[in-house]
Amino acid sequence: MPSDGQTPRGASKPTENVTSIGMASTDEELVARSMGGDLDSFNQLVLRWERPIYALAYRVIGREDDARDVCQETFLRAFRALGGFKGQAKFSSWLYRITLNLCRDWIRRQRRQPVAQAPEGVDLLDLATETTPAESIEDLVARRELSLAVQRAMAVLPEEQRTAIILKEYHGLTFQEIADLLDCPLSTVKTRLYQGLTVLRRQLAGAGLGSNSMTGRS
Amino acid sequence: MKCDREQLISYLYDDVSAAERLAFERHLRGCAECHDELVALRGLRSTLSAWTPPQPELAFEVVDHRIGQPRPRTAGWRAWWTPAAGLAAAAALVLAAASALAHLEIRYGSDGFSVRTGWNTQAAVLVPSPAPSQDAQRLEAAYADVERRLHDLESASHAPAAASPIRTASQTTAADRQSDVEILTRVRDLLAQSESRQQRELALRIAQVLRDVDAQRTADLARIQLGLGKIDAMTTADAAAHRELANYLITSTRQQK
Repeated sequence: MPSDGQTPRGASKPTENVTSIGMASTDEELVARSMGGDLDSFNQLVLRWERPIYALAYRVIGREDDARDVCQETFLRAFRALGGFKGQAKFSSWLYRITLNLCRDWIRRQRRQPVAQAPEGVDLLDLATETTPAESIEDLVARRELSLAVQRAMAVLPEEQRTAIILKEYHGLTFQEIADLLDCPLSTVKTRLYQGLTVLRRQLAGAGLGSNSMTGRS
Repeated sequence: MKCDREQLISYLYDDVSAAERLAFERHLRGCAECHDELVALRGLRSTLSAWTPPQPELAFEVVDHRIGQPRPRTAGWRAWWTPAAGLAAAAALVLAAASALAHLEIRYGSDGFSVRTGWNTQAAVLVPSPAPSQDAQRLEAAYADVERRLHDLESASHAPAAASPIRTASQTTAADRQSDVEILTRVRDLLAQSESRQQRELALRIAQVLRDVDAQRTADLARIQLGLGKIDAMTTADAAAHRELANYLITSTRQQK
């Protein structure tokens, strides 16, 4: 299952962040060194987390350029507020919280259904460069269309349900972490997830993407 | 155990304790509704995995301005750059070049020699004629003397016979002949000095013009370079538009099939 947050770039490339004894630095170690004024350590954290943060922002607000801005602003705010980070939560959770706050601000400013207008043009020429030898252009188009269908279906969801699904489905946070981030009870998170997934099933079935397994007919 | 949606969701994402997992699995064996829903939600999760975000080049970096300059970031200028800005810059470039040409002014008068363009304020500085030096004063005095003596000669040749004694060739004295030779020599000297002075001034002015033109040319080249860079960016935007059109055509063709 997808989980961008579980495999941040630094974790998949441990050689990018190694200490003198050859072990990858943890977020906590890098945060501690950053708080001591080590800019390189903070930039290692940026390198490690920029892609998950960008993915979160993109899925919540649905616009590439705006997601990039939110991502950049997230790290700027984190850098400025680093002195106030007490380590009670994980550094990644702290970043997620900043990102979600910025996304909420963005959505308020836009006053629109963010993801509904989000789908941007499918650049097949770009896609063609991404394809593997085993994947035809037809498969590639089908995959991208499925991606857009999911994006559109997600756009229909209320923001709370969409955010809960994104954090669980694509970032692999635990229910407790999501509850802490969204400042709501654990049961509320599960309810939002269930309701959101139910709406998604309907939406995707309506778009002709329902299957026996998805609709529950076995 | 009755149907519990929260338990279903926890089990779906495997975010349950071992005891909760066993209890829900016991429930699943006896509840077709929960079983079907679980299968459906698993299928949905598989579909959701198709939604992948773009993979832009990010490479964010926090830099300390006190100890160094930020590294160049293509994303920065891309974000700043728009086709409209390029169009405006190109228009400004053309306008600047036209204005510079239109304002080119070369003037030479009693107050000196001046070259003026619309851009180079240094070139627009009026260059005055050199202040009269002692040499010049001496030359002017000599010139006035020569003029006076010529005037005297002319007056003498046109004077009525009664008013002045007739001067024949025999009456022309050696002193007068000596005076004429001296006058001619002085005239030649004056002309030579004047010519030399004008040549020096001309050389000075030409050097000034060349410097101004060179400065203007350097500034124009810089502007043209900037404009070309911006036009290049506009061309990239056009290429992106063509790519979009190509994508649209491919998609349309596929839909018709």
